[in-house]
Amino acid sequence: MTEASNAPQTRSTATDSAARRPAEGVGPLAPFRVLDLSNELGQLAGRMLGDLGADVIKVEAPGGDASRWIGPFYHDEPDPERSLHWWTFNNNKRGITLDIGDGQGRDLFLDLVRSADFVVETNAAGALEDLGLGYARLAEANPRVILTSITPFGRDGPYAGWKATDLIGAAMGGLMWLCGDPEQPPLRPTVSQAYAQASVQAVVGTLTANFHRTRTGEGQHVDQSMQEAVTFTQDNATTTWDLIGLNNGRPGNGRMASGQISGRYIYEAADGYVAAVSYGGLYGPGSRLVVEWLDSYGLAADLTEPEWREKLDDVTGFRPGFNPEDAEHLSDVLAAFCKTLPRAKLVAEAQEIGAGWAVVNSPKDLAENEHLAVRDFWQEVPHPELDESFRYPGPWARLSETPLSIRRRAPRIGEHNDEVYFGLLQLDPERFRELSDAGVI
Amino acid sequence: MSDAGVFEGIRIADLAWVGVGPLVSKYLADQGAEVIRVESSVRPEPLRRSGPYARGEEGLDNSGYYANFNSSKICASLNMQHPRGVEIAKRLIAECDIVTESFSPKAMRTWGLTYEELQKVRPDLIMISMPLYGSSGPWSMWRGYGHVLQAAAGINHMTHYPGGEPIGAGTAYTDFLVPHFAAAALLAALDHRERTGEGQNIDFGQMEAAIHAMETAPLDYAANGREQQALGNRHPEAAPHGAFRCADRVRENGNAADNDRWIAIACQTEEEWQALADAAQHPAWTVDPRFGTLAERLANQDELDALVEEWTVEQQAEDLMRLLQEAGVPAGVVQTPEDLRADPQLAHREHYRLLDHPTMGRCAYDGPSFRLSKTPGELRKAAPLLGENNEYVYKEIVGLNDEEFVELLVDGAFE
Repeated sequence: MTEASNAPQTRSTATDSAARRPAEGVGPLAPFRVLDLSNELGQLAGRMLGDLGADVIKVEAPGGDASRWIGPFYHDEPDPERSLHWWTFNNNKRGITLDIGDGQGRDLFLDLVRSADFVVETNAAGALEDLGLGYARLAEANPRVILTSITPFGRDGPYAGWKATDLIGAAMGGLMWLCGDPEQPPLRPTVSQAYAQASVQAVVGTLTANFHRTRTGEGQHVDQSMQEAVTFTQDNATTTWDLIGLNNGRPGNGRMASGQISGRYIYEAADGYVAAVSYGGLYGPGSRLVVEWLDSYGLAADLTEPEWREKLDDVTGFRPGFNPEDAEHLSDVLAAFCKTLPRAKLVAEAQEIGAGWAVVNSPKDLAENEHLAVRDFWQEVPHPELDESFRYPGPWARLSETPLSIRRRAPRIGEHNDEVYFGLLQLDPERFRELSDAGVI
Repeated sequence: MSDAGVFEGIRIADLAWVGVGPLVSKYLADQGAEVIRVESSVRPEPLRRSGPYARGEEGLDNSGYYANFNSSKICASLNMQHPRGVEIAKRLIAECDIVTESFSPKAMRTWGLTYEELQKVRPDLIMISMPLYGSSGPWSMWRGYGHVLQAAAGINHMTHYPGGEPIGAGTAYTDFLVPHFAAAALLAALDHRERTGEGQNIDFGQMEAAIHAMETAPLDYAANGREQQALGNRHPEAAPHGAFRCADRVRENGNAADNDRWIAIACQTEEEWQALADAAQHPAWTVDPRFGTLAERLANQDELDALVEEWTVEQQAEDLMRLLQEAGVPAGVVQTPEDLRADPQLAHREHYRLLDHPTMGRCAYDGPSFRLSKTPGELRKAAPLLGENNEYVYKEIVGLNDEEFVELLVDGAFE
């Protein structure tokens, strides 16, 4: 790593580069510092910057961030230090407490901004301005700073002030419309995808701005909308509406694309579920191999007969090309076959003949998954105060020269106040005590 | 074009296809990079053979599915089976900053297009390989795509109705999730190169990135040994929380979606519950003691949801959304594709950009979901025709002379 000499060096505070960079931080963003003000809408964004090596400081209100109370909790004991939500989205961050709503707190925050490269926030549109910490003010303190604001609908426009949770983002961005059974209400994935989409796309916007800054020295304001991020989950549904005037809908256990529902994808195995491709690959290129596979177990029914042979070979692409009775028959034959075998065996044998099946994995399945184990995906993260360590999901990309890693668990409340206030800001201990007593820190 | 964009001067050989790879390079193309889709008519990019097609007419240059993922790019066709195919690919890559690809690890090895080999012709190259399961491990050769990968990554397990099958998101969901992770890794590596001169190889396993969208499920298992379960539309800490049926849409032209209207409502706090009561003008259920506290609302959700729906089903979804939002209740219409194209907020942000394409005519393309205040970027052009830019790419970038170009063309190297 040679960033020390090549990193952007025009900061207004003279901070020691060694202190800025934890020794173990070798990710590509190691020279950078992030101030993270975000709630659950954007906490993944700050964490990803941390995963990439940046020094991320989570700025919490005195007493701790509200998201520390989001469950589930370690051993189901509600406690701000035991929230698994907090652990999941705030590892690779340091943590300080600071009331940025207070005048003195705001000034301290601006001092931090002078030594920072990024600020990530999720306040309602305009709220940061009301605190005297809008982009213009931050840029005055540090022209290089990149402020990333993640809001439900974007910072301006007719819905700019509206409220939204993950559910509302999933609805307004079109994800729910395409998810679920046609006979039942539109469905939201229980694990928050609208928040995830907003956060991950915000990182892309932030790093686009970062590249511009590396080349020109110029900072800017990134305005990320959750609703707009979710529109990317449309697959080709909006294009389908645009070009041929059809609304894709909820396909149940199949897939809908280009206005057409595919064959069924999800089948029950002897010990759980598998996700086959449409009809398991029984039609289209390669169908012969799939029929032979079923036949090797004596379970191909009449699909080996010439009449079916012709029908199955004939079809390509997304078009099932069958009448409803044919479609049901194919689905039934495959369902009867799948029930006889364990899912891992089904999928391994399907893959042997080039059919892209997968097991429907649960969290336990993932934890025990052999492929991920061979790739050394999970990472043990120590929680010394609990005298335990836990297996966290590891790197989401493997960079050969600047690897990602989990360098620290999520911070305890105010855990890095000393490091940051005394080390980074060189705050006088007397002043620190005053600010603590006043509830600012 | 007035502003060349953030990535001006960055050239990308995009050897990837279908969803994930092209969506990664789209980000860079729309912000000024020169992205060259390398394709072949011998084995056409599957999305070119998938609808929807403009005017419903099938054709390799008429797919809206392909078009939307490939704005601002150019295209060169290359037959890798031709004796000189691999050599020409290598010569092109030598002139590029980035290679993106999503072939099986075996295909790239067979062609000799590994990072180690390519680094010999381009020492500071950044290469990102994006196979479903990563470049190593027992599943590295396994096939599939986003619709089954969401199952492998656990998302189906967390997406179904109570007691139902694990159906997942209804689309090739991870195709629209993992490209953003891949783009983040790529942009970080590109910045590192800009600062240090060092290129690198990125092994991007799509499944591993998708697991990061599983929220607390992995840690709940690791720390508590608990397998989280899908909750339908419910939420452990909010009620009412779900999709509620609304009245059929009133309009003249009639559409299949018009009798399938829904509003999503999420009450997380007492304040929001009171605001809902105000907006509904205090019907009996809003003062029913069964729903007095959040704990009681959570305990009696079946009854509560039925009563809320008795109210919503009488309302037009859009009107109700406005009423609730003005009262301070998080609420939103379950928008259809048609709704999205007419959405006033998305229109205000100019999310959909209309671009003219030589065979498709004018179509809508997705722009990025973020606005950069100083470098907004621009969807510079519609998707390229197959092989549209062969002459430019092979003569000006690769450096073939006229004679060589024609010879190879006649010999089928650019099919």
